Amino acid sequence: MDAFFATIADPALFATVLRVMTPLLLAGLGVLISDRAGVLNIGMEGMMLVGALTGVLVSAYTGNAWLGFLAALIVCGFVGWVMALVVNGLGAHLIITGIALNMAAAAGTTLVLFFATGDKGMSGALKSEVLPNVGIPFIADIPVLGPLVSGHHILTYLALLSVPLVSILMLRTPFGLRLRAVGMDPKSAATAGISVKRVQAAALVLSGVFGGAAGAYLSMGYVSWFASNMTAGRGFIAIAVEVMGMGSAWGALAASLILAVAETAAITMQSLGLPHELMQMIPYVVPIVVLTVYVSRRRARQLV
Amino acid sequence: MMRSILASLVQLATTVLVIAAVILVILVPLSLSQPDPGAVLFAFLLGPFDSVRHIGNIAEAATPIALTGLASTVIFRAGMFNLGTEGGFFLGGLGAAAFAVMVGIQGPLAAPLAILAGACIGSVACIVPGYLRVRHGAPEMVTSLVFNFALLFAGLLFLSYVLRDPTAGALTSPKIPADARLDRLLQGTRLNSGAIIAVVACILGGIWLFATRSGLNTRIVGSSPGFAAHLGLPITRITMATQVVGGLIAGMAGAVEVLGLYTRFTWVSLPGLGWTGIIVAILARENPFLIIPAALFLGYLQVGGDILGRSMDVPSEIVGILTAAIMVAVTAKIIFENPRLLRAIRSIKQQEAK
Repeated sequence: MDAFFATIADPALFATVLRVMTPLLLAGLGVLISDRAGVLNIGMEGMMLVGALTGVLVSAYTGNAWLGFLAALIVCGFVGWVMALVVNGLGAHLIITGIALNMAAAAGTTLVLFFATGDKGMSGALKSEVLPNVGIPFIADIPVLGPLVSGHHILTYLALLSVPLVSILMLRTPFGLRLRAVGMDPKSAATAGISVKRVQAAALVLSGVFGGAAGAYLSMGYVSWFASNMTAGRGFIAIAVEVMGMGSAWGALAASLILAVAETAAITMQSLGLPHELMQMIPYVVPIVVLTVYVSRRRARQLV
Repeated sequence: MMRSILASLVQLATTVLVIAAVILVILVPLSLSQPDPGAVLFAFLLGPFDSVRHIGNIAEAATPIALTGLASTVIFRAGMFNLGTEGGFFLGGLGAAAFAVMVGIQGPLAAPLAILAGACIGSVACIVPGYLRVRHGAPEMVTSLVFNFALLFAGLLFLSYVLRDPTAGALTSPKIPADARLDRLLQGTRLNSGAIIAVVACILGGIWLFATRSGLNTRIVGSSPGFAAHLGLPITRITMATQVVGGLIAGMAGAVEVLGLYTRFTWVSLPGLGWTGIIVAILARENPFLIIPAALFLGYLQVGGDILGRSMDVPSEIVGILTAAIMVAVTAKIIFENPRLLRAIRSIKQQEAK
């Protein structure tokens, strides 16, 4: 038990929580944007894989981490655009397309990794770059608060900064209004002169960009390599983040923070030999409960 | 009669053409990147037929996905998009292995009882999201999707703390008793009596769906709930019953897979055959009779990919990309709800009416 408290009191724990939270938050915001436009992006898991691999490959060949990051954003945005094309252009089933994207991405990234390195498992042979941690000047020097706030990964700050930005985008801009209108009632939106296809395409591209950022964080921050299937279900937890956050960016922040604490606890329990599977279930059970309570409450209100 | 068969053949031919086009579009550029393009195409397309063993491998690969495909078909036909078959498959396999190891029944009843146990345990994966939808209105698609992973970790918890074989190095169950394992049908392959179960189940499923009152009611509930309500059908009960049956079939699929192929339960992640079952269901147009050819076709792709992976320098993952592309193409409205195609089919049917 002493060991347990010693681990909890560890100042590095907060940093671990943020490390775990960052990909969930980025991907969760991506899912949120797509879902509010009525095109729930089940393919987030696959997009993250593509982003992670792109980041590693491009940064290894150019020697520049930022170029790798940029490429991950562009490629995943493109994947989102293709998804929009398949769903709205070809008229394929949205959920089937998402499942297909996950499948294709899992297979495709392994394939590309094999052709690039000759290895199907890991990109260890490539010398890829990582994005830096940043210290905030002045604040870093403050005792207690400094180490807590400063010195995290740059994408962690970016993810936290994205929360108000996405919130403003969705709630305070004409584009956000159109996007929510399309998601709520596509026919009425079309009657009001909004191009449903174009708005949904934009939402999926944006969703892809966030997925790319989340993936790039995994391979260029969380660790410094790409491994096949390294997302390990985070894309699905991202859907859970969106559901738990009730479709708001701040809610997504709260949800990803809670899930990150749970996962950190799971890692800690694992190192102490406790049943960590229980904690690993949390990210998947809590959203079901939240969703059920939320929906049945709304239903009860409508009945009254 | 002839004309309606002809009309459905038009649709089938379109599907076959689309699939062939997808395979060519992906495979030709890939083979051109290799030193001997002809050999790659040959190995992938004809390799699966070059020996009895490979044909047996096709049937072996088709067995689990035919069953999960049937499970998804039953669920989809009731108008629910419940994705719990993946979790049900995992849990069914675990349940069957646990029952066989821990209860230890001997004799000819060992395997059927283990399969039954697996089916019952696996059905939870579909029942819970179905219940939450019917009772509380929670969208079954999202809840079933995340519930799969919750069940995975619950299963792993059970595996590591209850079922685990402490003498084995890796995280596995103890050996499944020989009595509980399914009989092998073909030397040199892992084809087992589960294949017979799958074929019988699909035929029974087809008869139920198209030739019984309860099947008709289910189709009405799924395709037009408003009409079903006017008819006074017990919608909630029918919907829930199909989720239970679909879950049982998914659990049975997992049980058959574990008892048929393995000597121990070794899955530590979701095996993915539930997802493939969804593709089978879509490919078969949610028709249980067509599930058998659809599952055999995907099994054929898998075996072709494996041959490619073994004999050439092309990873078998190419099959994943192929399957994904086929999946998207066969649901594409632009092809299958194309006005011209629909008009052609209608004109064929109308000529019969005259």
